[in-house]
Amino acid sequence: MALTATKKKSRRRQAFTRRDKFTLSVFVGVPAFLHIVWVWIPALLTIGLSFTFWNGVGLSDIRWAGLANYNTAFTASPQFWPAIRNNVYWLLWFGLIATPLGVLLAYQIDRRIRGHKIYESVYYIPVVLSLAVIGVIWNFMLGPGGLVQALLGYSDIKDAIPIFGNFKINTYVILSIASWRHIGYIMLLYLAGLKSVDPSLREAASIDGATEWQSFRKVVIPAMKPVNVIIIVITVIESLRAFDLIFIIYGTSGAWPILGMLVFQNIYGQAASMLGAAFAVILLLLSITPIVVYLRTIFRDDI
Amino acid sequence: MSNEIKENGVSRRTVLKGAALGGIGLVGGGTLLTSCGSDEASGPVKFAIRSTAESGIAIGEAVAAAYTAETGIEVTAQSTGDTGAFQDGISQYLQGTPDDCFQWMAGWRTNFRADQGLLVDLSDNISNLGDQMPDGFVSGATNPTDGKQYIVPGTWYPWGLHYRKSTMTELGLDPESISTWDDFMKLLDGTQKKGLVGYALGDSGGWEAMGTFDILNVRINGYDYHIDLLNGRQKWTDPKTLEVFKQFELLIPYMNKNVLDISWEGMRDLLLQKKAGAVMMGSWWANDFLAKSQEDYDDLWIVPFPEINPEFGRDSIDAPVDGMCAATNSANPEGGAAFAEWLGSEAGMLAAQAAGETNFFANSRLDSSNLDAFNKQKLAVMSEVKNVMNFLDRDCRNDFASTIVAPAIQNFLKGPKEINGILDGMQEAWDALPELN
Repeated sequence: MALTATKKKSRRRQAFTRRDKFTLSVFVGVPAFLHIVWVWIPALLTIGLSFTFWNGVGLSDIRWAGLANYNTAFTASPQFWPAIRNNVYWLLWFGLIATPLGVLLAYQIDRRIRGHKIYESVYYIPVVLSLAVIGVIWNFMLGPGGLVQALLGYSDIKDAIPIFGNFKINTYVILSIASWRHIGYIMLLYLAGLKSVDPSLREAASIDGATEWQSFRKVVIPAMKPVNVIIIVITVIESLRAFDLIFIIYGTSGAWPILGMLVFQNIYGQAASMLGAAFAVILLLLSITPIVVYLRTIFRDDI
Repeated sequence: MSNEIKENGVSRRTVLKGAALGGIGLVGGGTLLTSCGSDEASGPVKFAIRSTAESGIAIGEAVAAAYTAETGIEVTAQSTGDTGAFQDGISQYLQGTPDDCFQWMAGWRTNFRADQGLLVDLSDNISNLGDQMPDGFVSGATNPTDGKQYIVPGTWYPWGLHYRKSTMTELGLDPESISTWDDFMKLLDGTQKKGLVGYALGDSGGWEAMGTFDILNVRINGYDYHIDLLNGRQKWTDPKTLEVFKQFELLIPYMNKNVLDISWEGMRDLLLQKKAGAVMMGSWWANDFLAKSQEDYDDLWIVPFPEINPEFGRDSIDAPVDGMCAATNSANPEGGAAFAEWLGSEAGMLAAQAAGETNFFANSRLDSSNLDAFNKQKLAVMSEVKNVMNFLDRDCRNDFASTIVAPAIQNFLKGPKEINGILDGMQEAWDALPELN
């Protein structure tokens, strides 16, 4: 069976049968169509709308605004730079702390340290929860009247210690909560990658006298290149698209601004401008640029 | 039947939107089942209750049941879910498959949507109510753009300093006697020294502290300045505006330390638990006290905010009007309008009153001679009032109030010393707003 299949394939490498063409067009065409309709058309419309003033209701009310919304975003939005700062914190925290921790955990678990199965499950559990659910959980734990407050002896609302509203610590608290899930996610991805690395590579390295760290850095990481790309891309995307956790904890009040929230507040809300669309385009460019640049360098190396 | 199919066709869109709208889509989906069973010629009405509080939902359900009992028209009443999300998403809600009738707020929030053609013109319904609806409320509900009314005034309530009589008696303090700022400071000092929160505030929702800003501004600079400021005719960078925040800063030492962690619910609970002295809030929340127990309600009291500038005395107050709107894009806008009218009529208001509504009714037929003590006091709070405001986020365009003013006040509460920069930012943001069309 396999033999005939290969034969067929080699004979008809250039010319697809009608059936192949049909199958291909269904398998490529349908997702591509849906992708264009649900992702690219709205994205292009958003880009177009970001150059207008519009209240989102009557089409006849659209007025050309030129760069006014972008001008407002960069120079006259008190929340914009704090939001950029918070997104950058998020990216740095994920990039420097959460993602490396996830990789480290995966590596340890892959070495089958004692109790690795338990660790694996414990770290993976938060991943099955959405960030919104995680927000609800931690709000119950840390908010006034929450479990942690009670354990600390501040069960009264009057005495509840400020956490989410305490701007000395809330950034760290939020990023730790987000990491709670992110670490497990990265761990699982990396673990799957590690399992596919040929163990003989590492064996060979250690026979050659490489230390654990050297074999990890010089053998495992290069062998894991595709997984590394995915992990970096995921880290960047997760940091920039952050929204749900903040929405659950702060609502739309904007107390801890991030770009995703500014988009939501200004486009979904009650605005007469399309400032929200401008924020969305800025966010799109920020997300796409590092990813495109990174993917290009990676794939250029491969070719 | 055709109605049902039409609903089915769009319900998918509603469900998609519902994810963000906090379940409103599901409300639409849920009512599909109910509308199948009904063969009423006048058509069933869907009614959205703008409340998540048990007391508010109970009142909404009770008036819906009373309407069904009186007219035989089926009403499906359901909560809008999180009121903040409902408020923010109102344009999308009204453009999708909205409920026929929904509870809403008079002022800018109604007029802006009316101008966009999303709300049913209720002028005829209001004139049907005749002398039941006092002129003051009709003019308050009138859209300045076209002179029509798009909301049937339902209830209203004053904002003031709330406290518990028992707590103050225990402390030997008399809030009723405070008339000046110095008296007020002494009261706050007195409550704080006894280990209570002097001036309880929770601003995690972003709107709660606007009440304090409003009252300080009208006390210091007067009603005209306040309304001009909210409509761009005065500047946030004006020293007069700065003075308001300087006065606001004097209250911060008397506040709970977790102002940005708790919301109005935390403020309510502080008062329910007898942990707070004075709390500035709209007296609509008395419903929650009554729902908790008659004793808590009877213990609740309200006094007007003290005078600061003798030129203005205590002549202005936030006293927002809530009411009912009908949505143009709903399945049954006529039914919604008729229901809104009924809710504003004597029968509707009596049903709400019987269900535990403690706010004042706009309808003049409702007997006010047998008001309870708290309601009489609410009227007393209004006695010196010459100017009535709707509250900051109803007197001001929404793309400034919720996106700029709310975080600005939060930032002020977080770092009062940075107020100059905050006010500069607010003015810049105002100047960058496009004209409304």
